[in-house]
Amino acid sequence: MAARRKRSNSAASKAQSEFVPEAEEILERMRDDLGLLAETVDGDLNPETINGLFRSAHSLKGLSGMFGQEAMSELAHHLEDLLDRLRMGRAVLDRAGLALFDESVTMAATALEKIGDESEAAALAEGIADLIGRIEAWNAAPRAEAVPVVPELDVPPALLRALTEYEEHRLSDNLERGRGIYVIDADFEIASFEEGLHEIQSAIREVGEVLSTLPSPGGSLESHIRFSLLTATELDKGALVGRLDLADNAIQVARAPLGTAKTEASAPQGASASHDDGQTEAKAAAARAEPEIAEPGTLKSISDTVRVDIRKLDELMNLVGELAIQRSAVQQIASKLAMDPATHRIGTDLAKVHKTLERKLQELQSGVLEVRMVPLRQVFDKLTRVARRLRLDLEKEARLEIEGADTELDKLIVEELIDPLMHVIRNAFDHAIEPADEREAAGKPREGLIQIVASQRGNDVLITVSDDGRGIDAEKVRARAVEAGLVTAESDLTRSETLDLVFHPGLSTRDEVTETSGRGVGMDVVRSNIGALGGLVDISSEVGQGTTLTITLPITLAIIQALLVRVGEHRFAIPLNSIRETLLVEDSDLQRTDGRQLMNLRGEALPLCRLADEFDLDTPETGKSYAVVLGVGDARLGLLVDHLDGQQDTVIKPIQGPIASVRGIAGATEMGDKGAVLVLDVSALVEDVVRKGEVS
Amino acid sequence: MQRILIVEDSGTMRSLIASTLEELGEPVKVDEAENGFEALRLLPRVPYDLILTDINMPDINGLELVSFVKRDERYAGIPLVIVSTESSERDRDKGLELGADAYLVKPFDPDALRTLVVDLLGRSG
Repeated sequence: MAARRKRSNSAASKAQSEFVPEAEEILERMRDDLGLLAETVDGDLNPETINGLFRSAHSLKGLSGMFGQEAMSELAHHLEDLLDRLRMGRAVLDRAGLALFDESVTMAATALEKIGDESEAAALAEGIADLIGRIEAWNAAPRAEAVPVVPELDVPPALLRALTEYEEHRLSDNLERGRGIYVIDADFEIASFEEGLHEIQSAIREVGEVLSTLPSPGGSLESHIRFSLLTATELDKGALVGRLDLADNAIQVARAPLGTAKTEASAPQGASASHDDGQTEAKAAAARAEPEIAEPGTLKSISDTVRVDIRKLDELMNLVGELAIQRSAVQQIASKLAMDPATHRIGTDLAKVHKTLERKLQELQSGVLEVRMVPLRQVFDKLTRVARRLRLDLEKEARLEIEGADTELDKLIVEELIDPLMHVIRNAFDHAIEPADEREAAGKPREGLIQIVASQRGNDVLITVSDDGRGIDAEKVRARAVEAGLVTAESDLTRSETLDLVFHPGLSTRDEVTETSGRGVGMDVVRSNIGALGGLVDISSEVGQGTTLTITLPITLAIIQALLVRVGEHRFAIPLNSIRETLLVEDSDLQRTDGRQLMNLRGEALPLCRLADEFDLDTPETGKSYAVVLGVGDARLGLLVDHLDGQQDTVIKPIQGPIASVRGIAGATEMGDKGAVLVLDVSALVEDVVRKGEVS
Repeated sequence: MQRILIVEDSGTMRSLIASTLEELGEPVKVDEAENGFEALRLLPRVPYDLILTDINMPDINGLELVSFVKRDERYAGIPLVIVSTESSERDRDKGLELGADAYLVKPFDPDALRTLVVDLLGRSG
C-alpha cells in the first residue's frame, strides 16, 4: 500500500508538472489557428479551424479547472462558449471578436507564467474579469438561433445517432448549401489503419468535409477494421470515386448535390472556398453596426507573431557572418594604425569604435540566432507518439521518459534530428529492451525504461538516449567485426573503440549481429546524419545494464568559431568546438610505433597526423610544430601544423568542383583580406587515423 | 487484476485520472490511449473491465467510440464512462443513448471518480 501511495503521489505530481507545458501547447495551437483565421476573417471561415479553436478552449477550460486555476478556467469557458456559437453558426466573427480572442490567448499565457506568483494574482484576476466583461459584451450581439435540420437521408441510423451536436450542425449546414452527402466505406488492415484513414480523410478534405468517422463493429476478419465516413462535397459521385480512387460500391449517395454538381475539373479546393450569401450578408450587417472596426487597415495588427520563411533567416545570417568578417578587417586596420606613432591616435579611436561595432554585431548575431531557435519539444513530442505506437505494436512493456524538452536548437537542426532519433528509439524498443518475463528473471523491473535527456553545454547541445535493456556484448561485436574483415583478430582495441564499431557500415547493416548485440540496424546512417549536422555520436554500454547513446550537436549551423592554422603557405580553419587543446611540440616529443605516429599526452598515447602529409603540402622543417588536439566523441587526434593564427567567426560555405570531394574538407570560408580558407572536416580526419590504427 | 482503459487526448488529464485510480488500493492496471485510434488498437488485445472516454477528441470522437464499443458484441459488455465538461451536455446525453453506462463531469471530484469506478467494476466483476 505504501508503495502504491508513493507511486500515486508521483503520478499526481507528474500530472501537475505536465499541466503548464500542455496548457502552453494549447495556447500555441490557438495562436496558430487565430493566425489562420486572421487571414480569412473577411471571407469564409474554415469550419475545421473554428472547431480546432473550440476544442483547444474546451481542453484549456477542463485542464485549468482541474488544477484550481479558476480565473483561467473562467476565461477559457467564455472563449469556449463564444467559439461554440461561432462553430454552430449562431454568431459571426468580426475583427473585434478576433482581437478579443487574441487578447485572451495573450492573457492566458501571462496568467500561466504567473502561476504561483501571489503578488500578481489580484491584478491578473482583475484583468481577466475585465476581459471577460468585454467578451460578454461582444457576445451579446444579436444572432439568429439556428436549429439543426436533418432531413430524411439515406444514411445508416448508427451514423446519424453518433453525430455530436456540432457534427449535426455541419451536416445541416452542408445540406443547406446544396452539397452532396455520401457515406464512404473503407476497410483497412488493423496494423496500418491510421495511415490509410488519414490518407482518405485528407483526400476528402481537398474537395469537401469529413463530417464523421465511425468505426464499424465486428468484422469477420480480426485483422481488419472498417470505417464509415460521412462526407459532404460539391462533387457528384462519379467525380468523388475518381478523386478518392475507390471502388464504385464503396461510396453510397445519401443525397446527390443540388443544382450544378461540380465535376472533377471545377472542384473547389476545400469547403471553405465556396461562398455563403447568408453569412456574407450577416457579416455586412455587423460591419454597418461597427464601422470603426470593420474598416480594414485602420486597426493595429491583431497578432503579435509573424511567420518567416527560414531561408530569409539564412540570408540574414549569411549577411551577419559577412559583417563579422568585415569587422575583423576593421580590427586589423585599427591595430596597424595604432602601432604607427604617426597614426596612433586615429588607430586607438578606430579601435574604440570597433569595440562598439563588435558588441553590437554580437547582439545582432545572437538576435538572429535566437529567432531561428526552437525547443526540442517539437521532436520529442513526435518521439513520444512513436513510442506509444511501438509500445502498442510490439507489446513491449517500456516507457519513454523525456527531460529537457525546452532546450533550444537551430530549427534546421531540429528538423533533421527527427529521423535519426526516431531510428534510435525504434532500435531501443525493438532490440534493446528485453521481453518483460526475461527482464523479471534478470531481476529488473518488468517495464523497460528509455530516457532522453537534452541539455545545453556552452555552444553545444547534448542529447543522451539511454535504455536499461540488455546492453551490447563487446566481444560479440568484435568477433563479428573480425569476421567481416573490419579489424584483425590481433587488433588492440579498447572497449569503447570496439563498441564504436557498431557505427561501421559493414557491421551495423547486418541485423544478425545487432539482434544479439542489442542495437539495431542502420547505426552508420544515424552517425552520418548527425555528422552532417556537425554533430557527434558516442556509445557506451554494459551487458545486462543497458546502452547510452550520446549525441553532441552545435546549437547552430550558421556561424561557427574556428581556429585558423597554417601549414607552409596554406591556411585552414578548424571548428573550435572540436578542439580540445593546443600544444607546442618539439620533434623529440614524437614517437613512432607500428607505423603510427604518437606522443605522450599526460600519460596517454595520442595518435598524431601531420596535416602537411594528409594533403601533400610542402612545409619547411623547423623542428617544432603545434599539435591541435581534436576530439570526436571519445576519440582523440593530434593534428600537427606549423602555426596557429588565432580564432575567428566563420560562415562555412559548401564548395563546388573537384575539391568538394576531397576527404577531410568540410567547406570553405571567406576570411576578408586572407581570401578563401578551407575548413577541415574533423570527424573524417579523426575517423581515418583511428581506423588506420585499427587495421595496422 | 482489473484493467481500465482511459481514452483522452490531454496527457495531463490522463495522468490525473490514472493517478486517481491507482489510489484505489485495489490491483488495477490503467492503460492510456491518446485518441480513438489507439483505443481501437488496444481493444482487441486487452480484456478491459472498464473504459473511460472523453468526447471532444480529434479523428474519432467519444461518441463514435461509444457507438462502436456498444455495437460490437466483443466489447458491448464493458462498462463505459463518459468523462466530459458540463458544456457537452447534449453530447453526453447522446452518449448515454448510445449505451454509455455513466458520465462524470470535468472538473471531477477524485472521490466521485473512485466511487463510480469501484461501483462499475463491482458490477462487471
